[in-house]
Amino acid sequence: MKLYFSALSPFVRKVRVAAMELGLDKQIELVTVATTPVAMSADLTKVNPLGRLPTLVADDGTLLFESNLIVEYLDTLAGGKLIPAKGPERWRVKCTEALADGLMDSAILVRYETFLRPADKRWPEWIAGQQQKVNQSLDTLEGYAWVFEDKIDAGKIAVGCALGYLDLRFPDMGWRKRCETLGRWYDAFAKRPSMAATKPQA
Amino acid sequence: MGWKLHWSPTSPYVRKVMVAAHELGLADRFDLVATRPETVVADVSGDNPLGRIPALVLPDGAILFDSLVIAEFLDDTAGGALFPPRGAARWRTLTQHAQAQGVIDAAIAIVAELRRPENERSPGFVAARHAEIARALDAAERAPPADAVDIGTIALAVGLGYLDFRHPGRPWRPGRPRLARWYEAFAARPSMGATKPPAA
Repeated sequence: MKLYFSALSPFVRKVRVAAMELGLDKQIELVTVATTPVAMSADLTKVNPLGRLPTLVADDGTLLFESNLIVEYLDTLAGGKLIPAKGPERWRVKCTEALADGLMDSAILVRYETFLRPADKRWPEWIAGQQQKVNQSLDTLEGYAWVFEDKIDAGKIAVGCALGYLDLRFPDMGWRKRCETLGRWYDAFAKRPSMAATKPQA
Repeated sequence: MGWKLHWSPTSPYVRKVMVAAHELGLADRFDLVATRPETVVADVSGDNPLGRIPALVLPDGAILFDSLVIAEFLDDTAGGALFPPRGAARWRTLTQHAQAQGVIDAAIAIVAELRRPENERSPGFVAARHAEIARALDAAERAPPADAVDIGTIALAVGLGYLDFRHPGRPWRPGRPRLARWYEAFAARPSMGATKPPAA
């Protein structure tokens, strides 16, 4: 399988962590692409017209776009360890993934606003709005006692990658002060071999 | 007791869920709670910390988001066929959904950019989003969707409807006759008629 890849994307990291947890990482060839929302990689847009990461091309040619779908695909190959097949457990895992993805979306939008956008075209109120969503999401995760159970799932992987992205791009945000329980959980979770092997280096 | 759905008549993410609900015969289960772009974060944050719609609150207090999770929940509840359960059909449908969702995301990003104060807009960003939409629609024209009604075709139809609604100055039909014919047929479905956004 080919995974279109960038070392700093938290969405790509979710897929790599899932692959390692499922024992599938050796079957995945990483194809590095340099792409931004304003300068997309032509190699990537040939495969995925949206030009987004991650994109997976399976051995039989199956095309998969979007990190949650790719994680579900890998999980199916491995027999379903990360996403419960049905019932309230399934929706809880899927909603946690959606919450972590949304947190990443808002953090990435702040990053683009301050890094990619020319200084005179930035909009401080908009940054504050995204920061509010990040804070509200962190507060909700802090209250999810079940996140701190031991068993790994796709939702916890997404939360781990979202928090890793905050540490990477916003080291001064101080989210651990706001969410002490979540911080303790994350510091233990980050020691998993799958998380350590995929830790982004700015 | 109904299912509380944070809703707006103009959000394509909401419309995707509503079309799915109509197709599944579940639309009358919703208690719709209306919001609008200017107040959505304040209105919805108590149920969805991301301040986004749709968000579904079930009678037992469980809260579901985003739109894809809600749609799969509805399909599961109704025993529907909007999500193929497994195999190649599931991956094809959900990748089609992701591609259509990308069109919707890009179209919304343009609307959001144009809501910014004029001197804080980035023309390069807007051009890149239009290019992304064009590539995705060209791919759909090369391989037009089947007649199936599933989460992939629902998302594509809602995306094209949203382009008509918000970006009428950038017509997508020229050069894409097969996609245009497919959309015309899909848009005639009662589920699409019942969820059409109000005139802009």
